Amino acid sequence: MTVSRDARANGRDAVDRGDDEPPPSAAEAGSDRPEPPDPAPVPVWRVLAATSTSAWREALANRAGFWSQIAIMIVNDVVWVVFWFLFFDRVGAVRGWDLDRLVVLFAVLTTSAGIVLGLLNNARRTGQLAATGALDAALALPVSPLAYLLVRRVEPVNVGDLFFGLGLFVALGDPTPTRVAVFAYGVACAVLILTGFLVLVGSLSFWAGRSDAGDLGFHALLLFSNYPVDIFGGATRVFLYAVIPAGFVSSAPARLVDDFDVRLALGTGAVAVAVAAAGATAFTVGLRRYTSGATWTRA
Amino acid sequence: MTIDRHEPTPAIVAEGLRRTFHRGRGADRQVVEAVVGIDLVVGRGERVAFIGPNGAGKSTSIKMLTGILHPTAGSAAVLGHVPWTDRRRLTRRIGTLFGQRSQLWSELAPRSSFEMLAAIFGIGRRRLGDRIEELVELLDLGELIDQPVRTQSLGQRMRCELAATMLHEPDLLFLDEPTIGLDLLAKQRFREVLVRLNDELGVTVFLTSHDVADVEHVADRAVVVNHGRIIADAPVDDLRRSVLAVKRVRVGIEHGHAADPVLDLGLPGVLAEPISPSLVRFEVDTNQTPIRRVLDTVLAAVPVADLSVVDPPLEHVIADIYEQPR
Repeated sequence: MTVSRDARANGRDAVDRGDDEPPPSAAEAGSDRPEPPDPAPVPVWRVLAATSTSAWREALANRAGFWSQIAIMIVNDVVWVVFWFLFFDRVGAVRGWDLDRLVVLFAVLTTSAGIVLGLLNNARRTGQLAATGALDAALALPVSPLAYLLVRRVEPVNVGDLFFGLGLFVALGDPTPTRVAVFAYGVACAVLILTGFLVLVGSLSFWAGRSDAGDLGFHALLLFSNYPVDIFGGATRVFLYAVIPAGFVSSAPARLVDDFDVRLALGTGAVAVAVAAAGATAFTVGLRRYTSGATWTRA
Repeated sequence: MTIDRHEPTPAIVAEGLRRTFHRGRGADRQVVEAVVGIDLVVGRGERVAFIGPNGAGKSTSIKMLTGILHPTAGSAAVLGHVPWTDRRRLTRRIGTLFGQRSQLWSELAPRSSFEMLAAIFGIGRRRLGDRIEELVELLDLGELIDQPVRTQSLGQRMRCELAATMLHEPDLLFLDEPTIGLDLLAKQRFREVLVRLNDELGVTVFLTSHDVADVEHVADRAVVVNHGRIIADAPVDDLRRSVLAVKRVRVGIEHGHAADPVLDLGLPGVLAEPISPSLVRFEVDTNQTPIRRVLDTVLAAVPVADLSVVDPPLEHVIADIYEQPR
């Protein structure tokens, strides 16, 4: 196809038609021609599937590194479970929490943290990406930048948590069909809370610039989620449910698996949706303040 | 903003585009005006170089026009879309390439990244296969298409980046310093590809660069921006006859020989400046004396150990543009 310089002014289909073709009508020449119709939007699930497939391929590019990191994380998690085993063996139950329930708590936590930090790894890096101008590549694509970024990166070491959590629940969590369903619900809520919270505190970077607030919040949330929040009382307990929603990440789902309660289930689900919505809203509003940057970056 | 419906929709229309940033905190907080007010119309099929020194506002402007940044004030339409409110529809019709950003996955071969981009842009499997073949041929990618990006040279990677940018057949290409860091040969190949894309496919090219040669070899129009505003907008042919006509020739003279014989060549439009006893720099106005004549005269006058012909730095070109009569 050849395009004459004059014809190009009319757009991509203003081609040199040759001598034997009739001259273009005014409409064909582009004077009144509308813009070409926009291509049909691609379903979000297809975008996310393609992106996460690439993320997996990249993570698996170094297979030895991938599996060794997973193995190391599983060993790390096993040590933690052994600690709780020894603790409850000596102390017995604490405020209704025994080893069985704590196993479920740890299974919920490692599974959900494995999904968030392993498969949605950029949730943790939201602040860094916003502050260093690394959102450009996502914003240059016809996708929701947050959804794209979340699945853009797989972190093998945290995938180890996911494998461990599922294995722990299957091995020691008494996985009856009902308990499996409630476990899945609890994990889904925990994933929404963790992701929403990480995106929310990370999005503060749109206003505050580069800061460690996101990382501090992340560490606090994970630290307190490791313990059954019910062992705390008073203001601390309120803090761990209302400010840092650690109680809803692991303790509430573990209680639901052991002793299902509709009100607690609905409450946990409502908190999960609220935190996720808050994270998405903060990111979307923050994008208007995005300043990009000129450093070499990759999301 | 009003767009005359009897004219083809321009590729880019910007009016009073402005962007400020805040730097520092508290009492030290400053407002930095990155773009003060850009008014610009770019027609379909043009090749426009948007040039200026560091901090002139080039990248900020291009990021507003691609919907990445929201402006502080002003309006713009790119292919009829307001970039920052209609970003997702616009990005289906434009290609964006940043020299300092990678859209390829470093551990994967470009083919894998193209497959992901094809899914995002809704390109079917069969069309993707054809498209990859076209781009491999156009950009001479050969085996690079299946070679992990991290193992490629910068020049090779930039060709693959351009292929990724072109995958969905955009009508308009935004290129932000695409030749940065490339060697001379890679730059030359990259420029040739851009001209071919424009000539053969009618793709509008909007390019920012620090390199005067990018302007000369790619663009047919140059828009010069400095301190966040446009200071010149002219056909490159006009600039070529004026400020771009000046070239620099550096001549190294063999050890033991004096530079005196070439300090006054007696040629019109040629100024000699001794840098050291064995190195002389000439500023040559090629409108008055062709480079070839200068080189012939120098080679006949002294034994030459080293010789190079380069463009003056962009900052000098822009300074010259400031001095041009408006």
